[in-house]
Amino acid sequence: MEVDSGNGVVERKQSIYKSLDESFEIQKEMYRGQQYSQIYFARLHLMRTLLYSLIPTWKPHLPVCTVLGLEQGKECIIVGTLFKHMKLKPTILDEYSKERSASPLVKPHNFMHSDDYLILEDESGRVKLRGTILVPSVYVTGLVVALHGKETGAGDFMVEDILEAGLPPQIDRPLNPNGDDKYVVFVSGLSVGSSSANPLQFQLFVDHITGHLGDEKEQGIAAKIVQVVIAGNSVEFPRGLFNGQNLGSKEQSKLSEPTKELDILLTQIAAGIPLDIMPGTSDPANFALPQQPLHKCLFPGSAAYNTFRSCTNPHSFELDNVRFLGTSGQNIDNLAIYSDASSRIDFLERTLKWRHMAPTSPNTLGCYPFTDRDPFFVEACPHVYFIGNQDKYVTSLIQGSDNQVVRLISIPRFAETGTAVVMNLKNLECHALSFGTQFD
Amino acid sequence: MDYVVGDGHNEFLQSSSGLAAIIRIFGVTKEGHSVCCFVHGFEPYFYANCPSGMGPDDIFRLHQILEGKMKETNNNYKAPKCIRRIELVQKRSIMYYQQETSQPFLKIVVALPTMVASCRGILDRGIQIDGLGIKSFMTYESNINFSLRFMIDCNIVGGNWIEVPRGKYNKISRSLSNCQLEFYCLFSDLISHAPEGEFSTMAPYRILSFDIECAGRKGHFPDPSHDPVIQIANVVTLLGEGQPFVRNVMTLKSCSSIADVDVMSFDTEKEVLLTWRDLVREVDPDIIIGYNICKFDMPYLIERADVLGIAEFPMLGRIRNSRVSIKDTTFSSRQHGTRESKEVTMEGRVQFDLLQAIQRDYKLSSYSLNSVSAHFLNEQKEDVHHSIISDLHNGNSETRKRLAVYCLKDAYLPQRLLDKLMFIYNYVEMARVTGVPLSFLLSRGQSIKVMSQLLRKAKQKNLILPNVKQAGSEQGTFEGATVLEARTGFYEKPIATLDFASLYPSIMMAYNLCYSTLVNPEDARKLNLPPECVNKTPTGETFVRSNLQKGILPEILEELLAARRRAKADLKEAKDPLERAVLDGRQLALKISANSVYGFTGATVGQLPCLEISSSVTSYGRQMIEHTKRLVEDKFTVLGGYEHNAEVIYGDTDSVMVQFGVSSVDAAMKLGREAADYISSTFINPIKLEFEKVYYPYLLISKKRYAGLYWTNPQKFDKMETKGIETVRRDNCLLVKNMVTECLNKILIERDIPAAVQYVKNTISDLLRNRMDLSLLVITKALTKTRDSYKVKAAHVELAERMRKRDAATAPNVGDRVAYVIVKAETNAKAYERSEDPIFVLENNNPIDHKYYLENQISKPLMRIFEPILKNANKELFQGSHMMSKNNCTPNIGIAKLFGKQLSCIGCKTPISNSDHTLCSQCKGREAELYCKSIANVAELEELFGRVWTQCQECQGSLLQDVLCTSRDCPIFYRRKKVQKDMEQAKQELDRWNF
Repeated sequence: MEVDSGNGVVERKQSIYKSLDESFEIQKEMYRGQQYSQIYFARLHLMRTLLYSLIPTWKPHLPVCTVLGLEQGKECIIVGTLFKHMKLKPTILDEYSKERSASPLVKPHNFMHSDDYLILEDESGRVKLRGTILVPSVYVTGLVVALHGKETGAGDFMVEDILEAGLPPQIDRPLNPNGDDKYVVFVSGLSVGSSSANPLQFQLFVDHITGHLGDEKEQGIAAKIVQVVIAGNSVEFPRGLFNGQNLGSKEQSKLSEPTKELDILLTQIAAGIPLDIMPGTSDPANFALPQQPLHKCLFPGSAAYNTFRSCTNPHSFELDNVRFLGTSGQNIDNLAIYSDASSRIDFLERTLKWRHMAPTSPNTLGCYPFTDRDPFFVEACPHVYFIGNQDKYVTSLIQGSDNQVVRLISIPRFAETGTAVVMNLKNLECHALSFGTQFD
Repeated sequence: MDYVVGDGHNEFLQSSSGLAAIIRIFGVTKEGHSVCCFVHGFEPYFYANCPSGMGPDDIFRLHQILEGKMKETNNNYKAPKCIRRIELVQKRSIMYYQQETSQPFLKIVVALPTMVASCRGILDRGIQIDGLGIKSFMTYESNINFSLRFMIDCNIVGGNWIEVPRGKYNKISRSLSNCQLEFYCLFSDLISHAPEGEFSTMAPYRILSFDIECAGRKGHFPDPSHDPVIQIANVVTLLGEGQPFVRNVMTLKSCSSIADVDVMSFDTEKEVLLTWRDLVREVDPDIIIGYNICKFDMPYLIERADVLGIAEFPMLGRIRNSRVSIKDTTFSSRQHGTRESKEVTMEGRVQFDLLQAIQRDYKLSSYSLNSVSAHFLNEQKEDVHHSIISDLHNGNSETRKRLAVYCLKDAYLPQRLLDKLMFIYNYVEMARVTGVPLSFLLSRGQSIKVMSQLLRKAKQKNLILPNVKQAGSEQGTFEGATVLEARTGFYEKPIATLDFASLYPSIMMAYNLCYSTLVNPEDARKLNLPPECVNKTPTGETFVRSNLQKGILPEILEELLAARRRAKADLKEAKDPLERAVLDGRQLALKISANSVYGFTGATVGQLPCLEISSSVTSYGRQMIEHTKRLVEDKFTVLGGYEHNAEVIYGDTDSVMVQFGVSSVDAAMKLGREAADYISSTFINPIKLEFEKVYYPYLLISKKRYAGLYWTNPQKFDKMETKGIETVRRDNCLLVKNMVTECLNKILIERDIPAAVQYVKNTISDLLRNRMDLSLLVITKALTKTRDSYKVKAAHVELAERMRKRDAATAPNVGDRVAYVIVKAETNAKAYERSEDPIFVLENNNPIDHKYYLENQISKPLMRIFEPILKNANKELFQGSHMMSKNNCTPNIGIAKLFGKQLSCIGCKTPISNSDHTLCSQCKGREAELYCKSIANVAELEELFGRVWTQCQECQGSLLQDVLCTSRDCPIFYRRKKVQKDMEQAKQELDRWNF
């Protein structure tokens, strides 16, 4: 872990790493015919307990009802899982629909429609929600909320106020303003093997963070990088390669080439810096969240280093007691299809306040049918919350009512933007690191 | 105070004292109060011919003889007088053209409606009258239902507003019915308002939609003698209002509450049934609807109450203390075929079974509530298997709630279908147009409607209809409609279609074809009619022209079509959606009625067949099609100054397809219009050839089988239209339908024949490689009777038997639909032995019989499509490398099982020792590649797993409850099952990598 700089040795900083991926790992759990009702039930149970504990401080004077116990005109609070009825939501049944429209539908970037409406469900039943307070475009299916309102004559529930779970409690972050700078580098969407990937750009990135580029000062900064996180979509395979047919030798190599290339580059990083690699949509990993670690047989070179860690997606860890939580982007991308926000960072903030990373799973976002738990429930507030594979680099710092401070990061796709993100562990400050290969 | 009463239903009643028929009219007022009106004074009667020379004295004698005979044949008639009176009236028979305006007829008025038939019998057989000898009488209008007779004579139609003026009615002191208003009056005091203007509004009918659940025993279809009724769900709606105002469910044993629904739980079945009876009485619905209620729910409830000995249950009608009874009826009609059903009469309430209505009006591949709602409402219905129903019922109040929710949905769906398809509007309009009561429309065929119109019209003209003895089909059949030889092929130039607008009605109008204009061959000679006054039809019949005497049928048709034009014009103006619904229903009813007049004259077992008319109509039709073809091909030629020679490629009953040779749709439309106008001018008014549409491109497969894109404006096609092509046949698997549709899409819309061929090849290849979604291969057939009563061995029957041996509880019963796939078996196994339950196939990996699917399912329909297009269609599609079968899955039963499970290499399937875990020595080194394949497989399955199971959650309308649905009609049912199983396996294989 040393960088040879010609005139002496620059020692690379180190930090204490603790993996928190356990809850995202699927070990003993099997597909045994279970359905999705159980994860919804687990979620409702977890979130409701939490919301119930908040109601006495929110609206202590109001009674809490179940959907069944609603009485017309009586003000109360109900807690349940939201279901958004969406006119444009595509369904698998469309594949079987009798008539095809003459002109193919233009796929909208988002399936919202002004007729969408929300329904609240608990074990006792469902009730349609009304009112201007609860905006269907903001909320999604699968979210658990507490609502204040009353039943109308038509049997609907007129919502007057909403209680979301709010930011979870946060462990204290070690505050040492005078301490050392330590950097964490985030990168995503390397897309090795795709047409948009530029091998030179990636090599530049590797050389830069490993300290093989730049002058002494830059090497000094590089030496302060204590962790690299690759947030998904590291490789990309040509489409249609996995159609179940036996592959010719040419295709076999097409399949193994991108991972080989990736392995070579990752070996260079892992040789110097601890490296976490998360699976993403395009990686050779399973589809449903939580995605399980990429298999080590894909990385014969880099996997030999103990600095190389293949992680789950979502991924959570601590570095010097700073807590990280992040995904390769699927949860937020899915929210963006089924709801509206001004930016990706807003979605990020929303999921933290909802205390649920992926409310749309399993409804529109594939996930494992857990039976007794919901790993996407955010129990403790991270200090850093990141998502990979976004259009551009955006960051913000939010503060909670309990003095929680969270750095939100949207990591751009490297293959398209040439940009990685660097964050200082000391003060959570963040900047972009761009690599151009054009020489003007 | 005066009442406006909508007529729902009427029938007669014998009052015990006066021994006269009393008509009961049930209905609702504008305000929604139910009404029962007893109408007195209307007497049953019929006509008979008056033999020449019969004087008043003879009539008196006839009266006495008849009276005597009546008493003799039936001493049950306790009436002092059976024959009230016999009058001599001046009428004319509708049959044959006659020069005299009228002749004397006998009008025989009897005491009770049932006496009409027996009196007719006596007269038919002939009676001895002193001085006249034995005379047999021809009777007229003696086979008319009494209530219809009343309606005709009082000018009342179905769904009519009736007014009873102030002071003309009396309240009944001791009420006989459960209606809110009840009174009696004299028939002559009724004022019928024609359904126009303010009286065209719909009455605010109260509609009850219900569904019952029964706890069947395992392996048996519910049987009222054993299985209890456990739940009844009800939804009550007021016609024209969007939301139901009552939703409730009655359950046996406790049931958790359901939001927005009144749940009533009882400890005994008796209470459930009686509560339901009370609900029916209290809600007092005018119309009771449901799905298959006539054959299942209603009879079940009544029989069950009978088994339980609840005598007071079946009093569901509007008349107090009158029991509902069940009768087996068969309804047969030429149009709809024969259907057996049960008739449950419920006084004052119309039962409207959505299943029957949809079977009548729509041609679907399946009529299960699930597929019907998928078709019309675009949603899948959750289906709970009857073996699960008992489990749910025997669980706790939560599981019973689950069942109740399901039951409620089934009660609400018929209501939604009713609204969506606007059945009430269409049927009430039909009743108004044709003048029959609403209940006739469902229980009787087309002919009663025409009969009703004919009688009404004849009454105005002082004509009477003879009662023709049923001659059976002896009169023989006549030549049907012509179809011009189809020049099959794929036409890539626009094909203009010239249609005759309402061809048969127009012919009847143009040539004045009617009973009353037909000249009897004998009369023809006698009368010596001038040739300018008659038309000789191509079949040699003679009809007088309208200048001599206008026919009744043409007049009825003219009125119908004029009314339709008016309705259509009003429809254009109308803004209010309800008003539009009524008008649209009306114009449709008018169209159907106009078209059924021709059928009425041709129905040999009908009320008044007249083959002279119907055969003349078709012969004129044939002539016209040929005439059109000749004119088009003579006029539109290069010689005639046109760019191309026109060619008639096909002609159907009332349309002719012409290829003008031009290549643009616009030009074809211009020529089409020109041709239509030109040819129309050569026809007698109102026969008119219209140009409506262009097909481009057009694939003509054979007679009555074609497909094409349908253009009505030159910019953009409207839709793809197919006729007679396998897109909806139910004994085909879904794969056939999908392939046909996709091929037609590729050929007609994308205009890419090679792509269509490639698609077929790919699909065949997928089929051979076992990569086909099993649900696409499932064939379903209804198990209509027990195995023994099937004469030949059929695949689905044999399978049902085998399934019963495996597990009697889930095996299909008579009445169920059996789903099966054809699997491989020993070489000489018969087809019926190779049928297998799709679930069983999924669980045991049985290999699919590809050959069967290729040869018996997909080959013929595809060949039909491709033959006109490709030269060597068979070679192109069914020969080549894609036919090489590669993956044959091995069943995990039989030999494989004996040897236990040995690991094989994931890469090359070579058996490996257990210590090697994953790969054989040869495949080591290919780990990355092979792992990628394994994981890609898992990823694909996971994605599918998520999509199908969340879809099922959406259909069942709950996230927190397990999906129970076992609807085999649902396209994703097998996929759902398969992905669950595949997932398990794929996960196991993946786990082998983690050593």
